[in-house]
Amino acid sequence: MEEVTKVGIADWKLCKAPGKITTIGLGSCVGIVIYSATSDYCGLLHILLPSSKDIKNNANRAKFADTGLEDLIGALEQQGMRRSTMRAKIAGGAAMFQFSTKTEIGSIGDRNIQAVKDILAGYNIPIVSEDTGRDYGRTIVFDSVTKDLTIYSAGKTEKRI
Amino acid sequence: MTGRKLTNMELDILKEIGNIGMGNATTALSVMFNTSPRMEVPVVKFVDFNELADMVGGPEAIVTAVLTHFKGGINGMILFILTLEEAKKLLSLMLNKTYPDDLVSFDHMDKSALKETANILMSSYISSIGTLTNLKLRTEPPAICIDMAGSVLSMPISELGQVGDQALIIDSKFLDNEKSINGFLMFVCDEESSDKIFESLGIRC
Repeated sequence: MEEVTKVGIADWKLCKAPGKITTIGLGSCVGIVIYSATSDYCGLLHILLPSSKDIKNNANRAKFADTGLEDLIGALEQQGMRRSTMRAKIAGGAAMFQFSTKTEIGSIGDRNIQAVKDILAGYNIPIVSEDTGRDYGRTIVFDSVTKDLTIYSAGKTEKRI
Repeated sequence: MTGRKLTNMELDILKEIGNIGMGNATTALSVMFNTSPRMEVPVVKFVDFNELADMVGGPEAIVTAVLTHFKGGINGMILFILTLEEAKKLLSLMLNKTYPDDLVSFDHMDKSALKETANILMSSYISSIGTLTNLKLRTEPPAICIDMAGSVLSMPISELGQVGDQALIIDSKFLDNEKSINGFLMFVCDEESSDKIFESLGIRC
């Protein structure tokens, strides 16, 4: 059986070729895969919120886009991946519930996506492909060999980006 | 909120609130369905985010969820969650329709019926909490979502994630004698709000 590394909510893990890495049931959360054509390693981060700033309880760094990406990128660099070769694929950031009144939390998916894009741009890591927004959940699986990100959603055909 | 432990007395009080709220909610539902409802003693606990989805069949199980925010003395949200099978059962009772086993989506009428049932349950639950605690609580219009449990729960988890890594869950399953609908209400509030509940009941000051 092939090895699949599972990443939980507010968590990140590394995976080495030929393994696969997955996170289940992304809703408003965003899953970020960082990989490199010149490395066997890749990493997947499952964030919940855009920023650790202005939030009292920010001990769990993987919960936020800013601190989570900082840690993931640092861990990949420790495995010898060079920043300039890093590439990203992202998925998630949906608005699961359509409320009749607009609330700040209702747009959390959009804010998560924007934060991830801004932060990756700050690190000069290009986003190769994305499947974000809309109103449905996503389970994602990244193949460390083909560098394909496969997206599974309820009642939809799988998508490869 | 990490590692938060409730005292037995606090736990009992939350259970009792759950019981009363659920009692009113099931009565409301039984009037609608013309049956005599039964319910289980609610389970009250703090649950880690990663374990929340396991309570409703795992992160990939398809569920129907209706979510309402409540505001007033305490802020939080309440969800009514049914597995796909239970939702079909409920709808076939209500609308006299049959649903194929492989169906994973519902039409507008189905969603509307689910939303209304949930609204009745959730409103009577919230209003009994309001009465008990003497807090003026009001519910906002509900929204429905049918998808993977993990994705559905990301919404309450994000909101709670701003204050902690755990959710206070008053999980009340309700059963109905012959027709046996099995769903549950998830009452979610932050630590500040649960403290206020205790305060208003005179347990803490």
